[in-house]
Amino acid sequence: MAIDAIPPLISAQLNYLVTHSPFSVKVENMWPGGKNTGLLDRFSLVIPFCLDYIKWDVIYNAVYPLAAPDVIFGAEDENFRPYHALGGASDSKSLKNPLTDWNNRDPTRLFSLVLQLRELYKAYQKKRVEEVDDDRLKFEISTMLSREGIEMSLSSNIDKPEEVKFAVPLLDLDLNKMVGGSTWRHQQKIYLQVIYPVGRKYSSAPSAPRLKLVSSPELKAVFSIDDFRLPAWLDGMCMAEYLPTLEEMLESQIKDAVSSIDSRRKLIMALAPLFGRPVEADPVFCRKATFLSSSGVFTFLVHVAIPLQFPKQQPSLMLQSSQHFNSQGVPIKSLVSTEYPWSPRWDTSDMAERIFDFIVDECLNFKKYCNESILQNR
Amino acid sequence: MNDLPIHKIQISGTTLASVLHRFFSSSGDIHGLLFGHVSFSTTISLSDDLTSNFSTVTTTDSASSSAADGPTLTATITDFLSIPSHFPLPLQHHHRDDPSSVLVGWFSGRRKTPLRPSVKDSTTTLSLASSASHSFTPLDSPYPLSLPPSLFLLLSTPFQEQLIHTHEYKAFQYRVSTDSFDPKSLDIINIGPSFRSHYGSFSPISPFPSMTCDLRGPNAMAEDEKVETLVGIKKGLKDQKELDLCAEGFEIGRLSKLMGSDASNYTAELEHLYDKMLVKLDSLARLVEKSSAKVLEQVQSCRLRMNFDNSDGISPFVRSFAGEDSYL
Repeated sequence: MAIDAIPPLISAQLNYLVTHSPFSVKVENMWPGGKNTGLLDRFSLVIPFCLDYIKWDVIYNAVYPLAAPDVIFGAEDENFRPYHALGGASDSKSLKNPLTDWNNRDPTRLFSLVLQLRELYKAYQKKRVEEVDDDRLKFEISTMLSREGIEMSLSSNIDKPEEVKFAVPLLDLDLNKMVGGSTWRHQQKIYLQVIYPVGRKYSSAPSAPRLKLVSSPELKAVFSIDDFRLPAWLDGMCMAEYLPTLEEMLESQIKDAVSSIDSRRKLIMALAPLFGRPVEADPVFCRKATFLSSSGVFTFLVHVAIPLQFPKQQPSLMLQSSQHFNSQGVPIKSLVSTEYPWSPRWDTSDMAERIFDFIVDECLNFKKYCNESILQNR
Repeated sequence: MNDLPIHKIQISGTTLASVLHRFFSSSGDIHGLLFGHVSFSTTISLSDDLTSNFSTVTTTDSASSSAADGPTLTATITDFLSIPSHFPLPLQHHHRDDPSSVLVGWFSGRRKTPLRPSVKDSTTTLSLASSASHSFTPLDSPYPLSLPPSLFLLLSTPFQEQLIHTHEYKAFQYRVSTDSFDPKSLDIINIGPSFRSHYGSFSPISPFPSMTCDLRGPNAMAEDEKVETLVGIKKGLKDQKELDLCAEGFEIGRLSKLMGSDASNYTAELEHLYDKMLVKLDSLARLVEKSSAKVLEQVQSCRLRMNFDNSDGISPFVRSFAGEDSYL
């Protein structure tokens, strides 16, 4: 008996969804719903929305795998009825409930269902936000709407005051294209998260919204949003005024970050004539390179980690012996070192030479250190 | 159609237990229809206990104001019909004349799921609650009133199996006007002295469910009124063919005559059906007997031939074994 197995028809749909989704969908949990079978036919999908996650339970029926699945939304979205308004609507042709003519043999069905439901959920949250009785919010929405792809949601926790959250996509740049050779599956984006407390009353000096920059996680390899300082929010400002300055600053910094990749690549290339071809190197973001080197009979690896702020910040170096192992059999490594002469104004070949000179001295110390620690362990 | 709030939902302990049992014993998820009646609340809590009387006066302030908006309605679920949830609900065959048992709502039982209405639950409830053909008039209604089947009972089992309770349920009333599922408490009526007041309004009679015997429908005229696709008709005809094949000459339509008041006239029909079935079984048994005999005959002839081949009567295995022994 197949225990804890996913029925093939359901598995095909789920695989298609996870591999083809334009946003990253996670399957959080799978459990069986049948009485005696261990067939996993229900699962929770974690779907990114408005810089947060929504969790939907998808209920298949392993006993009748051809039947359409059912979806249960989160507890806070109990009033989300995606297919209720469709009855007499004029767009009912283009937007019909896909569950009514389900075909489980078509692996794309769950994918299109989730995509459609997410769009409907987006519209539902937008409608909720627009119904909030707050003058400032109404104004902000009316001036921001020209931007594409804004997601918004109304948080309605009982124990917290009402808040409206916006996820504003910034910059019209295709970051995936800007970074040559990147293997990112999803479109990289930077968003500004704006949280407005709902005031309901008009006040002449409304408090500043809570602002936070959020990027897709993979972008960290190129550009760290933590290093970016948001421009100050002036009293009486609105989003439409704030965003252009923010985008301008961000764009120049991202361009710097992308050009920094090139200078990092140049450094790795400049190190190669001195150390030999790198054993391992990060070819896309050029953040790491490892060289095999030797001093007499002592062979060791040099790990070079190049920071995002290169050349302003110098690379950090670490040595790893190929001959000395500790009692657990792990190669002995040196501490990470950045204490060597450095100037960002030097030529790349100069930088490489300085690193090489430093290693020539440092490897002797490291060899001593290795021998000592081996002796201590005995 | 009036969209009035139902104040109380009652269900007999046996009915609820039966629903739960059906849900628990089915291999997959189930859903079904709930039948019962809606009546105007007539039970008055008379008590000579002054303190409790006082407290009811204070607490029923809001209740009396809501009662002013409309009548106080109590729904009683008396019986149900359940099918596996991948089949559509058999809605079209339940136009009953009996006012004490009308379609009041439906239920959905799905294992290990949160107790919240799903997409399917909400769309089904909406279509049920907004269809005019299923609306009914409550019992002893003082003025014309038409209510939709708006009750929804959701059943589930807990996620952790080691928990003490084996199932969970939640009852809702769906309000079309506000597009909301209002959670309602479910009063379980048990037989016993403390539930004596319910006896008057409670009807334990559960009528025989009307089955769909003939897919072709009762008459051709009614069929014409339905808008059906060609595929649907074809499928229906195919199903009918299969049904007829099973019936072996006994028209499945005749089964429907077995229900209702004139059923007694047709018991002979049923006996006729059983006779035919018996004859069929008998002929099958004979066939099996004959073929078994033939198989036996063949087996015996085979064995005879084998015995003839090694006429010394010792099986080849024993012989080879003996040979090896002497070799040693």
